[in-house]
Amino acid sequence: MTVPAGKAGASIKTSARIVIAGSGLAGIAVANRLARELDGASITIVDRKEVHNYQPGYTLVATGVWPVDKVIDRNSDLQPRGIEWVKEMVAEFDPDANAVVTDSGRRIGYDYLIVATGVHLDYSQIEGMDVDAIGRNGLTSVYPSSDAAVATWKAMDEFRRKGGKALMTLPATPIKCAGAPLKTTFMLVDRLRQAGTLASSEVSFHSALGVVFSVPKINDKVLADWAAQNVEVVFNSKLVGVDIAARRATLVTPDGQRVEEDYDFIHVVPPMRAPDAVKNSPLAWQEGNFAAGGWLEVDRQTLRHRRYPNVFGLGDINGTPRGKTAATVKKSVPMVTQNLIDVIAGREPSQLFDGYTSCPMILREGSAMLIEFDYDGKLTPSLPMIDPMQESYFAWVMKYRLLKPAYMAVAKGRV
Amino acid sequence: MYEIWLTLNILFELGLMYLPVVVGTAALWLVLMVVAARRGKPAWCKAIKPAIVVGLVVTAITFAITPGLTQSSFANVSYWVDWGNLLLYAASFGAVGAALAWPLAATMCRQA
Ligand SMILES: Cc1cc2nc3c(=O)[nH]c(=O)nc-3n(C[C@H](O)[C@H](O)[C@H](O)COP(=O)(O)OP(=O)(O)OC[C@H]3O[C@@H](n4cnc5c(N)ncnc54)[C@H](O)[C@@H]3O)c2cc1C
Repeated sequence: MTVPAGKAGASIKTSARIVIAGSGLAGIAVANRLARELDGASITIVDRKEVHNYQPGYTLVATGVWPVDKVIDRNSDLQPRGIEWVKEMVAEFDPDANAVVTDSGRRIGYDYLIVATGVHLDYSQIEGMDVDAIGRNGLTSVYPSSDAAVATWKAMDEFRRKGGKALMTLPATPIKCAGAPLKTTFMLVDRLRQAGTLASSEVSFHSALGVVFSVPKINDKVLADWAAQNVEVVFNSKLVGVDIAARRATLVTPDGQRVEEDYDFIHVVPPMRAPDAVKNSPLAWQEGNFAAGGWLEVDRQTLRHRRYPNVFGLGDINGTPRGKTAATVKKSVPMVTQNLIDVIAGREPSQLFDGYTSCPMILREGSAMLIEFDYDGKLTPSLPMIDPMQESYFAWVMKYRLLKPAYMAVAKGRV
Repeated sequence: MYEIWLTLNILFELGLMYLPVVVGTAALWLVLMVVAARRGKPAWCKAIKPAIVVGLVVTAITFAITPGLTQSSFANVSYWVDWGNLLLYAASFGAVGAALAWPLAATMCRQA
């Protein structure tokens, strides 16, 4: 069941106190919808971050396609009027007492809580890794910030002039935008080809898993493309250390064997987990696949907490399969808004989420594939006549020009 | 239905991103219309043909240069969806070109 975009139920009168932890895409989008749909509710957003980054644009910045200013906006321009914005971080969730405690010690009570804190990038699991060194000595990582994306392009640009040995990585944990490490690899190959240094270069992709992408059809397509481009793929090879000055990586196999690899260029994708405040709280999964990462224990269809019925989860923090993308947020925010309204009105949640997620897989500068799939990895194209396996200029234009406006419309709670 | 709503929102957000250009073009069109209406008797009907020609020229130019302007090339335009969208995009610019050309042509062809 889906909610028609922008029309999630009638506006209801309520004096409910709603706290939203996290002011990324998910937090802002749901705040905008709730502010519109609820009459009289008190809505509080807790998050220190003032800059709003369009993270899906990082891969374009990091590969020299976009200038960095395209990924930088301000949260104050996106948040609805009439809400309270507490510019602190949640240090502790106390769902038994219906309260959160901020890092300044302020205790904020709620009737309903929406957890939208995103992921924690756990670079500390990679020995020797220093995020501040990204951009130097061939060290790159597209994930942490817009600055890191700029620094990644600087290093990629230097590397492509001479070519050499590139080592691309993928951790074993769930990650946000599972396509980003692959896109970065495709673009690196393309940049080397454009510079005429591909033939003298060696690109290898080390996946800590037995695949490079969780959807089998896409996995096969990517592997076939890389085989044609001479990208070597090493499975079950996890990055655990990096000697930045010596440009040497340490990788480990599942049986514990450590392998050292020299490189000229490395792309580090950090293991990801829930931020400490969630991970160490009763809200995290206590057992099962998502417990190790401390992900939020929500029902995968209603996105309501499985043990605390006045708590919902949105975005990357959710302990659900696959979807850690802005596309997931786009589809799930209207549903969670409606489900929360249902609960406030004393009803059971009416909206069931199918795990929709999407990834415009950049294959080279100017071409991409628009992949959409659900919890089960089933391809679910929005427009059935478009073949998701088709390389296309249109999919590139979506990524290059149309998805940022779509993202802004999601953030403003309109789609 | 949802896809139409999404497309409208994308167009709206694009409009916001390029607001000065959008407002400037709309203002220019208004000025041209007012000038055409005030100066003698504009030949609105006679102006349609030249306006369409201008629109077609703008469409053709936009079609030819768009892949390059979006950091791609015709080598990547292979799927029918690509051609269809490129044509639609070029035709939208053609329509704007025609809309601007219409009052201009009407002024130039005005009856004495
Ligand atoms: C390199 C890269 C490429 C991507 N490409 C795509 C793509 O092509 N397509 C796509 O759909 N998606 C893509 N994504 C994913 C997309 O950006 C995320 O899925 C989306 O931003 C998730 O939104 P969120 O609100 O859950 O998390 P975020 O946007 O990360 O926001 C989380 C917020 O929570 C705050 N927070 C954290 N801890 C606390 C705390 N304790 N208390 C209060 N606040 C807290 C943070 O400060 C942050 O503001 C990409 C992401 C990256 C990094």
